[in-house]
Amino acid sequence: MYIYDKFDQTIVRERVAEFRGQVQRRLAGELSEDQFRPLRLMNGLYLQLHAYMLRVAIPYGTMSSAQLKKLAYIAQTYDRGYGHFTTRQNIQYNWIKLEQVPDLLNDLAEVQLHGIQTSGNCIRNVTADQFSGVAGDEIEDPRIVSEAVRQWSTFHPEFSFLPRKFKIAVNGAARDRAAIQFHDIGIQVVRGPEGDVGYAIYAGGGMGRTPVVAPLIRAFLPKAELLSYLEAILRVYNRHGRRDNIYKARIKILVREIGAEEFTRQVEAEWALLRNEGVNLPEAEMSRIQKFFAPPPYEKIAAPVVAFEQARASNPAFARWVETNVHTHKVPGYGVVTISLKPVGGIPGDATAEQMSQIADLAEKYSFAEVRVTHVQNLVLPNVKQADLFAVWQQLGKIGFADANLGLIGDIIACPGLDYCALANARSIPVAQQISERFRTPERMKEIGPLQIKISGCINACGHHHAGHIGILGVERAGEELYQITLGGAGDETASIGELLGPGFKGDQVVDAVEKIVNTYIELRQPGEEFLAAYRRVGKAPFKERLYASA
Amino acid sequence: MPVLSIAVGSDPAPINDNWVRLADGAAPNATDRVIVPFARLKGGDNQIFGAAAVGVELGGADQVEDLKPWLDRLSIVVLRFATFKDGRLFTSARMLRQRLGFKGDVRAAGDFLPDQTAFLLRTGVSSLEVSDTFPVDAAASSARAYSVRYQHAVDGLPAAYDERHAP
Repeated sequence: MYIYDKFDQTIVRERVAEFRGQVQRRLAGELSEDQFRPLRLMNGLYLQLHAYMLRVAIPYGTMSSAQLKKLAYIAQTYDRGYGHFTTRQNIQYNWIKLEQVPDLLNDLAEVQLHGIQTSGNCIRNVTADQFSGVAGDEIEDPRIVSEAVRQWSTFHPEFSFLPRKFKIAVNGAARDRAAIQFHDIGIQVVRGPEGDVGYAIYAGGGMGRTPVVAPLIRAFLPKAELLSYLEAILRVYNRHGRRDNIYKARIKILVREIGAEEFTRQVEAEWALLRNEGVNLPEAEMSRIQKFFAPPPYEKIAAPVVAFEQARASNPAFARWVETNVHTHKVPGYGVVTISLKPVGGIPGDATAEQMSQIADLAEKYSFAEVRVTHVQNLVLPNVKQADLFAVWQQLGKIGFADANLGLIGDIIACPGLDYCALANARSIPVAQQISERFRTPERMKEIGPLQIKISGCINACGHHHAGHIGILGVERAGEELYQITLGGAGDETASIGELLGPGFKGDQVVDAVEKIVNTYIELRQPGEEFLAAYRRVGKAPFKERLYASA
Repeated sequence: MPVLSIAVGSDPAPINDNWVRLADGAAPNATDRVIVPFARLKGGDNQIFGAAAVGVELGGADQVEDLKPWLDRLSIVVLRFATFKDGRLFTSARMLRQRLGFKGDVRAAGDFLPDQTAFLLRTGVSSLEVSDTFPVDAAASSARAYSVRYQHAVDGLPAAYDERHAP
């Protein structure tokens, strides 16, 4: 993974010093909360319902075991002993004291972490496929370009005060595991006509109150020209994006209002000039970054791994976990382990300091000291030998993270909702907890098959409900929490937006509604047909009928 | 209003350069250094060029390319922030310098934050029009905050990648 040199380290250190000065001015009364607000928001510090919340960037979701240990230490020292992994591959701490933030950031800087651009109207933390570098279907590790984008976007002099926040995601594989078409810019690594590696560029996607699947604006961009092209997109957006209405300020609205064709024309015209203005990254720097993502020293392992096969054969629970949570590794004899942070009845994405610390130990011992965060709020050990899987599974069981539910109904995305968030209209976490309780048995989950439930506590859609096979949106009606249900959303390479089924449900009716949807699917599916495929075949009518029949 | 000059490597310093806003419709004195709204330039009012020096004030919605016909006769371009959030003016400043080659003074005015000074400097702003209570120290800290940068910008300073691969 990428390791800071003195230049990267200096920037982060200088950011800590700058923010320390800003916090001092606030505490000394030189800045009012109104004046301090834009400054703290440029560093991931929010004022939430009960306390300050700090969001720490985990660039493109990759971190070292040492970094994860530090995150555990932060949870222990400055928070209430836990942290919350988010859909942007970040971690949030919910109980932070303002006067401690400079020291906290200083501790983070020791392990090359920070809160830079995790909030504010700027280019946010770049996200990428959590299986980068280890999936078999990859053209190139997307973290190479992600790191280039991270550096370019950090304190960008021209693009730090955009009309609204700006999110970039990169995918390097055939399967889209980064939901790139729901981002302001989606970068897909592709091969060009001559077999050379380059990028397909999507722009103007997003969720929120106006969900949009991003149109493709360039089918092939040569590798060397990426930054000037991104700069052209950002410049067109910065100049022409709407600033009169916060709800219409994202790039998706600009693209929709002028049309993808006209938007593309403006970007190309700007790019024709910008590409010669010294913006592109020199080849030498790209290869320097690339070297950090060279494969670790894998062993040559002969298949089959007998001990692993025996454990699988003799232990059905382990076998089930391998089937759901271990992805095929590109190197024979290894597996990619996804640790589900979705135990039955738990809070999706939450981990205690002890759990983080234990996972860091596992990474050190079994996975070349590397951990990934997924946008589905899980953690990944990317390089585990098959021979070690049983030991890893047993250790995970001890910390309550051995649930075999990846990609199944228990693997729910939920935003913090009204339990923490100042913007929320309804609670998300209790709904997720009730659903996971209702469908708790492995047999039931297996029977249902792949099914993604995503829950947002307000229209801002941090819980990605638009992209959920079943999406749940909390709203507030006459002082009561109400939940709308959408079906058929998808965040993969077949991206689609979920369709609203009908009137919302009260909090205590949501789980029953979900169960009716699930049962309807099971009755109507064809052999082997997954939920999303079945929904796409039959549409919403049968579900709607069943759900509202008795009403 | 007080004016501070800003430049790479030095602290913001007060200057007195006697620019005056020309009242709507008024003709300038030959000895005046006058700043006019962009609308007046676009209106084709050539009598303003009878002044000793001429400048123009742009808002966030103005397109800097439209200045081209007059640019070689302008000594200053003022960029007025209606709100510090109006990031369009950072693009305007950078394009003025890089795309249009403007060599005169580029001045930020209005509601920008002292903590934005680093961004203003990098995009080619060379002076700040400020209120009497403007915290100059905070602007100075911002200008000094970073010794390393990840991008090329108007200030001509090397990016981290230049320093990494310097022979």
